Amino acid sequence: MKATIREVGDVRVVDLNGRITIGEGDIVLREKVNELLTGGHAKILLNLEKVKYMDSAGIGELVACYKRSKDHKGTVKLLNPSGKVYDLLQLTKLEEVFETFRDEREALASF
Amino acid sequence: MAAGTTVKLVVPSMVRLVDLAHSTAESMAALAGLDEDEALNVGLAVREAVINAVTHGNRQKPELRVTVTLSIRERSMEARIRDEGNGFDPAAAADPRSAERLLETSGRGLLMMKGLVDRVRFRRPQRGGMEVILTKMLSEDRK
Repeated sequence: MKATIREVGDVRVVDLNGRITIGEGDIVLREKVNELLTGGHAKILLNLEKVKYMDSAGIGELVACYKRSKDHKGTVKLLNPSGKVYDLLQLTKLEEVFETFRDEREALASF
Repeated sequence: MAAGTTVKLVVPSMVRLVDLAHSTAESMAALAGLDEDEALNVGLAVREAVINAVTHGNRQKPELRVTVTLSIRERSMEARIRDEGNGFDPAAAADPRSAERLLETSGRGLLMMKGLVDRVRFRRPQRGGMEVILTKMLSEDRK
């Protein structure tokens, strides 16, 4: 999985492309979010538009990122989860945990 | 018509081999006539069962094997995933959707399997280990 970071005001948008799965995407996600948190950036918007799917390890890492951001007085929000990713968020009830947006401007304004 | 087709994979307990089982299962599901979305569901369910077998059942010991048997039948596709570990009690697994477990970072594999295929069963083979049996029904017009 590829992850690139954009700076928009005090929010960091992470554009993810690929799969958030065990031993690969979950590690990339962990490293990128840790990089932001250690750099003092705890308002994080994960753009999931180009993430085809996640497995339980990837979902677990999403939750871990959310918890770590809270430890840093920030939060992780989600942008444009694709069909399968959204299905899995619903199945696991994590849609109740993550604020999820379809519009980036609206997402950015919510922080 | 692909009914009667069976593919068997026997792999060492290594996380990087999870993709192989997933992609094989997804391809078999497409061969069975499932559409792209449903085939991905089968692939993901098998993926979760293999992750459990590798990480929990066989505790990532490469000398222990995971056996994945994929079969297309007249009305269903079946995946059997067997490890060589000590097994576990699936009935004792806590619901990861409960308020107290919602922010746990693990424990969602079984829930995902149940949500992605039509039936999930567990069996303890006499020769040891644990076997998960996943069943996806095929509609009449897919045969």
